[in-house]
Amino acid sequence: MEYAGTPAHAQPLETSTGLDNRKLLMWLFLGSECLFFGSLISAYLLYRDRSVVGPYPRELYDIPFTSVSSFVLLMSSVSMVLALAAIQRGDLRRMRVWLLCTALLGTLFLSGQAYEFTTFYDKGLSLHSNLFGSTFFVLTGFHGAHVSIGVIILLSIWVRSLQGKVKQSDSLNVELIGLYWHFVDVVWIVIFTLVYLLTGR
Amino acid sequence: MKAFFENPALLIGAPLLVVGLVGAALMFLTAFAPALPAPEAAGVGGVRVAHRGPGPAEYVNIGLALAAITALEVAVYYVTALEAILAPILILLAASKFLLVALWFMHLKFDNRIFATLFAGGFVLVVAIMMVVLATLGASLT
Repeated sequence: MEYAGTPAHAQPLETSTGLDNRKLLMWLFLGSECLFFGSLISAYLLYRDRSVVGPYPRELYDIPFTSVSSFVLLMSSVSMVLALAAIQRGDLRRMRVWLLCTALLGTLFLSGQAYEFTTFYDKGLSLHSNLFGSTFFVLTGFHGAHVSIGVIILLSIWVRSLQGKVKQSDSLNVELIGLYWHFVDVVWIVIFTLVYLLTGR
Repeated sequence: MKAFFENPALLIGAPLLVVGLVGAALMFLTAFAPALPAPEAAGVGGVRVAHRGPGPAEYVNIGLALAAITALEVAVYYVTALEAILAPILILLAASKFLLVALWFMHLKFDNRIFATLFAGGFVLVVAIMMVVLATLGASLT
């Protein structure tokens, strides 16, 4: 299917690769982020069953609740890509709607995470209660921090757009935050399966 | 009804689910609404360029597929008969979601291969390191 849009980098760029360096840098950053989250997930998988005192994962996980959170984050990826499609065709009004929708869904996900952390803490799990607690909170906490940064960037682009400072020619900026947002979503897909579904039963 | 208000998971989860479903419905409606025409000379330097890639309707379809796969994951999780092969099934479903997001939403399918190489490089490296570390130190996925 061919979709008529107008990328910001429509003309060949005067770089050694012919590609926009900002986008190249973003992909390089995301490649390094794979290693960052990979190390945290490995640490979790190594230590989750080595706690000598409780609480243990099976006593705490609420899979239906986490499934809904995952669904919310997945839908935020859809609204993010719709925001990019909107700015690429010059529809700034719809771009603002989808950007705001993405930020709100991201905030909903963070609210769910805050609720989950509070519940776990009430049941005796903390950063220093056992190995499971340490690795779980560090992994999901860093992911939550990434989502928070994404929400802040989304809202800043939304505000700048309301001020008339975002134009169709700035679509690369929306594409870059979109890449970051989708990466955060992809990381959650892995966490949801490896950390929750494969451990919770 | 009383159980609903006593269970915080339902109390928080049900509104989240409703919001998500409303969002999905809105996306569906917007995707099929008539789009504004693209400006004639909107490209850089007045050059209009056709960009090969998915449109909003395709994005929504992929979003629905992602939601369906997530529902399938949760359903499989509760089927006790599948316990022996739960890990491979869940990893396969997660991989399909990962690929859908990376290829379509992140445009790796349509963009320059250098981007895919950078990302795949990091990903392959981390999977290899994880497998070596987990095998060496005696951890398992399940």
